[in-house]
Amino acid sequence: MLALAPDASSGKAARGLANPRTWSDLGSNESLVWGKCQGSARAPYQVTVDLTEPAFRCTCPSRKLPCKHGLALLLMWSANNGVVADLESAEPFAADWAAQRASRHATASARTAPDPEAQAKRLAERESLMSAGIDDFERWLHDVVRQGLASARRQPPSFWDTAGARLVDAQLPGLGDRVRAMGSNIHARNDWAPHLLGELGRWHLAVKAWRRRGELDEAAMGDLRAVLGWARRRDEIGDRVTDRWWVVGLSQEEDERLLSQRTWLHGERTGETVVLLDFAAAGQALKIAHVLGSIVDGEVARYPGGEPRRALLTGDEPKVTQGAGLPHATDVRTALGHTARWLAGNPWLRRIPMALAGMTVLPGDPPQLVDRTGAALTLAPDTDIWQLLALSGGHPVSVFGEWIDERLHPLSVEIDDRLVSL
Amino acid sequence: MSGVTTWDDLLSAALVGTSRRTFALDQLAIPGAERVEADSAEAAVLAGAALAAGYRRAGWTPPTWRGTPPPPAAPDDRPECSPAAAQLLEIMLNRGIRVEGGPELLVLHWLTTARDAGQRPPYRMIVDLLRFGTANTATRPLTRHAIGPRGAWLARHNPVWSWAATVPPQDVVERFATGTRADRIALLGDLRATEPDFARTLIEDTWGDEQAATRASLLDCLHIGLSTNDEPLLEQALDDRAATVRAAAAALLDRLPESARGQRMAARAMRLNKKRATFELPDEPDQEARRDGISDHREPGYGRAASWLVQILAATPLSTWDTELIPEADPEVLIGWTKAALRQRDQEWLTALAEHQPGPELIAALTPEAATAILDRQKKLDARFGGLLAAAPGPWPPRFSTDIVNRLRAAKADNVLQLAAAAFAEHLHPSALAAVEAWLLTADPDRKATRRILRGIAHALTVRATILQEFQ
Repeated sequence: MLALAPDASSGKAARGLANPRTWSDLGSNESLVWGKCQGSARAPYQVTVDLTEPAFRCTCPSRKLPCKHGLALLLMWSANNGVVADLESAEPFAADWAAQRASRHATASARTAPDPEAQAKRLAERESLMSAGIDDFERWLHDVVRQGLASARRQPPSFWDTAGARLVDAQLPGLGDRVRAMGSNIHARNDWAPHLLGELGRWHLAVKAWRRRGELDEAAMGDLRAVLGWARRRDEIGDRVTDRWWVVGLSQEEDERLLSQRTWLHGERTGETVVLLDFAAAGQALKIAHVLGSIVDGEVARYPGGEPRRALLTGDEPKVTQGAGLPHATDVRTALGHTARWLAGNPWLRRIPMALAGMTVLPGDPPQLVDRTGAALTLAPDTDIWQLLALSGGHPVSVFGEWIDERLHPLSVEIDDRLVSL
Repeated sequence: MSGVTTWDDLLSAALVGTSRRTFALDQLAIPGAERVEADSAEAAVLAGAALAAGYRRAGWTPPTWRGTPPPPAAPDDRPECSPAAAQLLEIMLNRGIRVEGGPELLVLHWLTTARDAGQRPPYRMIVDLLRFGTANTATRPLTRHAIGPRGAWLARHNPVWSWAATVPPQDVVERFATGTRADRIALLGDLRATEPDFARTLIEDTWGDEQAATRASLLDCLHIGLSTNDEPLLEQALDDRAATVRAAAAALLDRLPESARGQRMAARAMRLNKKRATFELPDEPDQEARRDGISDHREPGYGRAASWLVQILAATPLSTWDTELIPEADPEVLIGWTKAALRQRDQEWLTALAEHQPGPELIAALTPEAATAILDRQKKLDARFGGLLAAAPGPWPPRFSTDIVNRLRAAKADNVLQLAAAAFAEHLHPSALAAVEAWLLTADPDRKATRRILRGIAHALTVRATILQEFQ
């Protein structure tokens, strides 16, 4: 990406500017990326990138081409994390420029966009970039195993960051995030060695799966795309299902750039659990505020993949009503049975939803949740144990949470037929 | 080879690295391993890890817990407050509201209103309330009431919240015998509030074995729930070998005018009483008077003998005298009677003394009605008045609330407003909001401090009115 920079300082400046805080009206479609960047001038610079060439346009006074704003926009778009939304229609300033270019092209070569041939070419280029990144990643994986995990643990944080950044540059941001996260987990976790070995195995599996992607069915390809971080465009997601969706868990994470929310839905008719992902720039509100404990009567489009699937709310404004607690909560062994089935379908699955009934909170070090049969789940260290105790009062309660690496992160508790968030 | 050993072998190979230890997939006792292609030791470890980690994750079984869970919290019969009331409390606890006097006042108002309405906050607020009570010691009694049995149960799990924890009766004796001094005093204070006689017997049981400093602090705890039942222990403590214990006992007996010591003091005072409000100065205290707590402590600005007189009068039951003598009394007699009225909490005397010579201490000890009635009759709206207003207890009656705002506004007494700003925010009746807003509208724009205070008071009144409304 930064190879497009006219000089090193532009590339560096672009990295600094690739922060959603300084941007507004970000969006992209299949050929354009656009956004407004607040620079030193009073009016924000209007920045547009035509992905087909790529070609850049910016209203800033810089003589460099492309300028740092255009590069920053492209960097944010390539991170593929939802900051630059896929939109149907472009902002007027971007659409106008594209139209001007198109008419110039039309007079020059009588070419019209969108061009299926050009699209296929872009796809082939992307896949070859990713394949090169995968080859590079495999060499890195072999290297780690040859040197040994103990030696990997002695590496500085830059070891993981560099490997992660190379994956991002190769348009594999999902893998990049997982590799970067390992840089801190390897020191934070007591069970770092089995954790690292398991992750290495799953990364290896992603490498192998990519090489055989032609043989994968749609669900497996969906799971692979999710782990690589190759996002789907909204219009590619067509697997729609209507149900009364119970909002059973909300989880928000905010870093210095991005606010992300996972909304877990349980379908009353289908019995299926799906997750919605919503994003906003840090410090801004989410476009869609889901209310815990409500029922959303409407249609979702499910991403290709194994259960539990990611989904999008589609269709018209859904009807929202008040729910009555946590549906289909089970004991620990039944929930682990679902978990095993889902893991068999998708080995890369990390967050596993669990709706658990009759759980007693045991304060202690570490605190645990125990079901009526005595099956005990350890709570994640960041659990608000006091709130959980205050809500339960020592009585068995139904809890919804995410099961991640053998630790439960509780998200909501049912109290008097109402869900209360933690 | 069992599955676990296989994983462990794989892990140890991976830890040192394939440059030092080789690994082949056929070592892996997992079905399907033989079908996996691996053209190098590195690929074998990675493929083995993918396979074995998948099995380990999917086949993970939970440990079984075989203990007895701690008993759950006792039920709370009070109905939960309205969602809007809960939301208000949440905002106030998270300091989302800025008002004159600080959000603590509003939280207290919320807790008082909820208590009077017989409602409780939702359980999800208990943790925030415990943190609030931990940080604001003075609010603990109300906080403890609000969080109820669920909060008391929760507090037992966290030592930081021990102030809010209920100790089961069977554990009290044990804890009192073995706890640290601070623990024992906290425990005793709690117990005195509910079972004062049982609490006293705990002190009596170990009395002879305690150190002097501990005896004095344990005795101090008796000020909670003090009654004539405590007199025998206090009378006995007057003979204690430690001066601090004797002083503590005398201070408590000052508050029990009907005690034998009260009668002995009355006899001493009567001997000095010549006619009506005239007293002669006492001689050097004898052995008996010294035992009853008369000391050489000097009243600031008075001589030795006058100080003895003050002490004797301060410990004499006020029923010995008549309030109509107040206007004739000398200053040292007034000091003695004022101390007696404060200690004996005698509303008749407190009111009469405040009418004669209002001071912040007397005003603070009156009922809101009596205090505001006296303030109503004060002519000068000066700094001294501001001090009295700041000391006056609340809630202030509606008519007084509106009148006082209008009087200060008419007199342009901005300094009084500043001195008593927190009291206004806390005690003013919500119906005075219109008067506060009217002042704000006409206030000189240059008087920034006054305008800021008025805005703060108006805000506090609005929130308090909302709280009241949510509990109706």
